Amino acid sequence: MNHRLHSYLFLMNARISSPCRPAVWLRRSLQWIAPGLVAIAAVAAELPIPDRPEKLTFAPLNYEPPDPRVSRVVLKAGPVAYVVPDRELPLVNIVVHVRVGEYVDPQGKEGLSGLAGHLLVRGGSASKSAEELEERLAFLAASLNSSVHESKGTISLNLLSKDLDEGLALLREALTAPRFQQDKLDLLRQQQLQAMKQRNDDSSDIEDREREALSYGEKFWLNRLDTQASIEAVTRDDLAAYHKRWFHPANFLVAASGDFDRDAMVAKLETLFTAWPFQGEAGPAVPADLEFAAPGLYIVDKDVNQGRVAVLLPGILRTSPDNYAIALMNMILGGGGFTSRIMNRVRSDEGLAYSAFSMFRGGVYYPTPFHAGFQSKSRTVAYATSIVLEEMKRIAQEPVGDEELETAKRAFIDNLPRRFTTKANVADAFIDEEFTGRFAKEPDFWKNYRTKIQAITKEDVLRVAKKYLDPKRVAVLVVGQKAEILKGNPEHPVDFPALLGGRVVDLPLRDPLTLKPLNVENK
Amino acid sequence: MSALTRLILCLRSAAFLASLSVGGLSGLAQQVPVTEHILSNGMKLLLVERHDEPTISGGWVAHVGSANERPGITGIAHLFEHMMFKGTPTLGTKDYPKDLEIIAAQEKLRDEMRREDDKVRAAFRRGEVADPMKPESKTARYRELETQFKGLIEEQRKILVKNEFDRVYTSGGGSMMNAFTSVDMTGYFITVPANKLELWLWMESERLLRPVFREFYAERDVVYEERRMRTESSPLGKFAESFEALFWESHPYGWPTLGTPSDISSISKADADAFFATYYAPQNITVILVGDFSTPEAVAMSKRYFERIPRGVNEVPPFIPLVNPQPAEKRMIAEADANPQVDIYWHTVPFRHKDSYPLTVLGQLLSTRTGRLYKKLVLGSAVATETEGGQYSRRWGGVFNITGEAREGHTPREVEEGIYGVLEDLKKEEVPAAELQKVKNNFAAGEYRRLSSNFPILRQVIQVEGLGDWREINEAGARIQAVTAADVRRVAETYFKKETRAVGTYTRKEGPATGANDDLAGLAPDQRPVMMKIASQIQSETSVEKLKQTLQAVEQRMSEGDAKRKVFMGLYRKRLQNRIAELQK
Repeated sequence: MNHRLHSYLFLMNARISSPCRPAVWLRRSLQWIAPGLVAIAAVAAELPIPDRPEKLTFAPLNYEPPDPRVSRVVLKAGPVAYVVPDRELPLVNIVVHVRVGEYVDPQGKEGLSGLAGHLLVRGGSASKSAEELEERLAFLAASLNSSVHESKGTISLNLLSKDLDEGLALLREALTAPRFQQDKLDLLRQQQLQAMKQRNDDSSDIEDREREALSYGEKFWLNRLDTQASIEAVTRDDLAAYHKRWFHPANFLVAASGDFDRDAMVAKLETLFTAWPFQGEAGPAVPADLEFAAPGLYIVDKDVNQGRVAVLLPGILRTSPDNYAIALMNMILGGGGFTSRIMNRVRSDEGLAYSAFSMFRGGVYYPTPFHAGFQSKSRTVAYATSIVLEEMKRIAQEPVGDEELETAKRAFIDNLPRRFTTKANVADAFIDEEFTGRFAKEPDFWKNYRTKIQAITKEDVLRVAKKYLDPKRVAVLVVGQKAEILKGNPEHPVDFPALLGGRVVDLPLRDPLTLKPLNVENK
Repeated sequence: MSALTRLILCLRSAAFLASLSVGGLSGLAQQVPVTEHILSNGMKLLLVERHDEPTISGGWVAHVGSANERPGITGIAHLFEHMMFKGTPTLGTKDYPKDLEIIAAQEKLRDEMRREDDKVRAAFRRGEVADPMKPESKTARYRELETQFKGLIEEQRKILVKNEFDRVYTSGGGSMMNAFTSVDMTGYFITVPANKLELWLWMESERLLRPVFREFYAERDVVYEERRMRTESSPLGKFAESFEALFWESHPYGWPTLGTPSDISSISKADADAFFATYYAPQNITVILVGDFSTPEAVAMSKRYFERIPRGVNEVPPFIPLVNPQPAEKRMIAEADANPQVDIYWHTVPFRHKDSYPLTVLGQLLSTRTGRLYKKLVLGSAVATETEGGQYSRRWGGVFNITGEAREGHTPREVEEGIYGVLEDLKKEEVPAAELQKVKNNFAAGEYRRLSSNFPILRQVIQVEGLGDWREINEAGARIQAVTAADVRRVAETYFKKETRAVGTYTRKEGPATGANDDLAGLAPDQRPVMMKIASQIQSETSVEKLKQTLQAVEQRMSEGDAKRKVFMGLYRKRLQNRIAELQK
């Protein structure tokens, strides 16, 4: 709750920049060749220090991403496992991934996945009450957590390798015989109700919710949010039924990394999943029946002195052949932090925002939208939006610079090792490929990744910008002081509605407990 | 790095661990093999050689934070952190002499603009201007000057190479580039591929040797937007800022690291230049490298690049302020767009103080799902939905903080009283051995978990060195393990006193955004779980007929009982009606 004692001020907003910067979402290595540092240093010492960094020379860094096939094991008990030994520290990390998600929640019981996912571990197990289980885990300094999110469930175990067998027994029991204590359900429900009450407190939460509604439509499963009524409708029996229906080996994938012998771990995983006490159902496909909002300017009136803006366009699937060109186009437009155009204009040139970015990543199960965003004081919201739209137009009209494209490519290519920084990252990366079905179609995805990025040309970038950044389809969401925002700034007059085709839609705040539109006649 | 230290890091601990009692891991510390080198200009160099991944995480910490500022220029340490990315004579411009000319001309205009700002502030004090920050409040002369200033910016843009510092790193494979400022320190960091050590040395030594603070005023506006985002537009930001000031009083920790609004908009480039000369001198900086390099080579190369920077003429002035002993409890009673909650601060001790270790252990005894606060207040008396506590040792002072959110129907005051009850128990009786061991086991395991890769190790070294001594990274573990139950009891008695605390209570400010409130708030605490169970049954019922029958029964009994019961029955009826309406839709 209290963040100020441990929060520091950062140069840039890492949370915002991380999804779009490969810098952050790519992590580390398995096989690589140590560079000849000694040799470079010896040569460099004789030369004067140059005035420009381009004049420095570097030994090549030969890096190959790890091969998933080396770690992949199909367990006799069913699940596919990725097993990555790492003897550096006496720790073991095991994550069971489950093919289930919020999309299975029945109408009227929204929130069931979240409750069941959390309580799978936190609600106790057959032989141990929730309290006993917590105490034992705490004494072992082990963590055992479970959750079900949008399109995946996970149960993760992290502990000292000396305690592995005991940890696996606890994991097995959590997976096969959760207790779902009624008092824990009551407590969690109460905590969630109170969390719900905060839905209109922070303008960023309002923005997130309404942005999803515009991006996918209110009927899309992602936007069927839990309400007081829906979580109160969930009973202990529902949790037990949910568990038996989805939590069985045919829906599992496993990532194991850390301090163990590979074969020994495989044997332990076989035991973990053998002789499952019940049959379940295969998880259904993730629905993709979304509906993108009509173009226009959507405003939620909220009394804060900084408006939050999201510029949205219909998105793509990850399997789109345009994906690589889009990644580079977005990197140049707004995905590359300080090297991107939106950041340069909105932040560095004009000082209009602290965080300014764009994201455009292909969705795994359904198209995820293009999203450019920033936060600016009320009176400069319209001006800053006009700059973002201008940059979107420009990249769709003029070819990008050679140097810009090269920088964007290097950012993706040279940061590939960061995808695989720790062995746990390696196992996670492999599991993600397997879970989302890409491994089956493209087992050498990461091996070929750099070549595909390298092959993209300026023409490709221009083509995809033209194709996807269609100004006529733009929907802009603004959360902030409506009157002040529409007043604009006399020094940079902008007709905000006209910028978006003249259509202005007032979005009401929603009752935090029912999500029904609130009467805001007093505003 | 010595072979021995490397051996410690790589040590396979299976045999070692097997020898431990079932009790856990007491005393087992995983050392971070840091080597220290002092350069000729006084700069400190810390190296951690690690060949696990083909990267080097590099950073440096300037031993300056907002605590080193003074009123009038608060926020400068942080603004400065932003300015360090603006380039050098060769990075960021195509024409350095022209760039300097423009910067000088901009400063002249800004001096005059500052005088106009003074006039606006004076008018504000006389009540002639409602809000000095609004664009309409600017003087006519200010607008003229602003137009001229914009002309200079246009001119500068012609020769500017935008964010070139970042571009060089990005195209060189750098990632995670960022920097931070706190009350105590300013840190800069990035990860580069292992073959780019020299690029890192070039970039970092150049910006320390000859930084150019171009685009100063646009960046000042960026920082102001950061303030709006973090402090002014967030539900608790402005209250938190006020609470810090209340707690620390005249101590420099009392002003915000982001700076006060009037200071942020008045800081000049001349202020920044003076600040740099004092606090960014090499003798006030520690450089840290973690990753895939050879230590002797890295030392030689670091000397070559960083020893170009001359030692600062002025030594950093000593930090004088001590925290004023607090004579009485302080309270802030706030209404905010937030759930009811309480936030308590006690004055404690700074970094490396001998009592900081028992206080840290005490914080852990209180926190987590098996901690005392959770057991007593969330599971036991059920007055809170969440609560946690901990010791925060800063460089010049310390605070112990406990927070708690009130459960529906309970008040922050009840949570507060509950917290004091838990602390009184700790004063009365020593913590049982098993409970203490549990907490120590977690600290011991944490010694391993923190070593997963180069970047987190760098961040930890920056942190402890910035607080005053990198050795803490290897010494804290043993000090934590040495804490006894008697120590915990002693610090509880010493520090948790009424007169050394400040208490902030928050209640929800009712407004249009809070909703219909058709919920449990109106019920007595003992009625709520009953209603939740009933509500759950209602929601799972799909027969309208059955619901109507129940509704009829409820309505017949509406007039029975006392006021408390009537409220309950009213809600019961409403829930039934809602469900029927839902099914009939």
